[in-house]
Amino acid sequence: MSAALRSYGAGLPARIALGLLVPLALILLWDHQARHGGEHAFAFVSAAQVAGALRELWQSGDLLTAYGNSLRNAFGGLFWGSVTGLAVGSAMALLRPVDWVLTPLYHGLRQVPLLGWLPLIGLWFGSGDLSKVIVVSLSAFYPAVLYTYEGLKGVEARMLEVGQLYRLTPWQTFWRIRWPSALPSLFTGLLQSVAFAWIATIGVELLFPTGFGLGTVMQHGQLQARLDIVVVCIAVVGLTGFAINLLVARLSRHALRWRPVRT
Amino acid sequence: MSAARIDEATLRRSVMVASPLAVLLAWQVLSAARVFPPEVLVSPQAVLAAFGQLTASGELARHLGESLQRLLWGFSIGSGAGLLFGLAAALSPTFARLFDPLFQALRQVPVLAFIPLLILLFGIDEVFKIVIIAKAAFFPTALSTLDGVRGVPKAWFEVARIYRTPLPSLVWRVLIPATVPAVLSGVRLSLTRAWLVLVAAELIVADSGIGQMMEMGRQMFRLDVVMVGVVVCGVIGFALDRGFVLLQARLLRWRAQPAGAAA
Repeated sequence: MSAALRSYGAGLPARIALGLLVPLALILLWDHQARHGGEHAFAFVSAAQVAGALRELWQSGDLLTAYGNSLRNAFGGLFWGSVTGLAVGSAMALLRPVDWVLTPLYHGLRQVPLLGWLPLIGLWFGSGDLSKVIVVSLSAFYPAVLYTYEGLKGVEARMLEVGQLYRLTPWQTFWRIRWPSALPSLFTGLLQSVAFAWIATIGVELLFPTGFGLGTVMQHGQLQARLDIVVVCIAVVGLTGFAINLLVARLSRHALRWRPVRT
Repeated sequence: MSAARIDEATLRRSVMVASPLAVLLAWQVLSAARVFPPEVLVSPQAVLAAFGQLTASGELARHLGESLQRLLWGFSIGSGAGLLFGLAAALSPTFARLFDPLFQALRQVPVLAFIPLLILLFGIDEVFKIVIIAKAAFFPTALSTLDGVRGVPKAWFEVARIYRTPLPSLVWRVLIPATVPAVLSGVRLSLTRAWLVLVAAELIVADSGIGQMMEMGRQMFRLDVVMVGVVVCGVIGFALDRGFVLLQARLLRWRAQPAGAAA
């Protein structure tokens, strides 16, 4: 164990250097293209311009405002989608008639690519924040239902038999047996919901030009051919996605630390 | 006992058929009773009529043909490149060290966020759409190939060495059977993602394709056309996924448990 750690530590600087090689080469190539210009020179921006755009967006406060709006939409949608998903998934797993009625509808609706709903939802609810939150909720809803259902259904039969032996009430069976054994699956669902909600937020903002989120800023940048602004937004979107995923993964590891297996 | 079980199975099946029909019926009743104005809720007949009209005029076939062609190109390029990348990264530690950080960083950014950047770089022509679909298809296949090939237990190679297995049979009898299931599930995800992103990209910029048909329908308040688009998107998405699962089951028929059964 310690030997493995040591060899890992010794190789680390070399590894980081190797890993940085390709991105650095790409950035240099990009920068070179921007300054010495080939036929696509208009499309490339130098690293200095990107830094300038970042400063500009930061100082005008646009970046923070847009970021705040996007995060609010994402978390709003995530909240509503997960809560309804949890409720629907539990109802489907615990009550057989509900399962029979909703399963074909759920799988039917799920086939439509998420953003394919946009034109319809746009016609029904306008292109304001409500439509955005609905689409983001939908993106979080699907995985929430699926993993709640699978988690609650997947409880081991012998556990339920032990519950019967102890004459647990249905509520106790749910709370003491089904819920804990469903938790790992629930967290997998949450992880997916979070990722989808963030993707959907950006997609919706790109498609509905109302409001003011990161997607909107990108869209404006694209229309004004300001690649520097677009690049700044991509970086922020990517870093946020990474941070959220990391956070949820940590959270789930913490919440599931009683489990003997590694997740 | 067995009679009761058969009864339950029949009941279950009939409820599962009845529930979508009930939704259709409710839709019909609501639109016939004009609970909502027709601009908000078109009748099922109107949607069917629009479908007939779009089919008869050849418009639907043209849009769908364009979309599927884009999907085919983008998906083949993306998942092919993903397969090669995954193989290279799994087999060569140097390659992995060089490209892994860049790969992981790009993976964090939702595909949709790249749309403005790619529009600036490639314009809004066919190239842009194929690149964005390829990008969407690349990552799942690359990841699952990487995991699949890395996941082959070392002991299997040792056993093969003890038996002095020649390289061709090592590849054919050990490596391919050990990795194909994982790779295929990644390719399946790639296909789903590619379809999702295709529809999204066509909603944002396109002069043809199923997404553009829906977007035009939205702008002209043709709810019937939008509904046709939503249904067609769903059916195509479903057919693609089912088709792939069948193919997967066929390719993996040597396994005890057919892969299609679980999915």
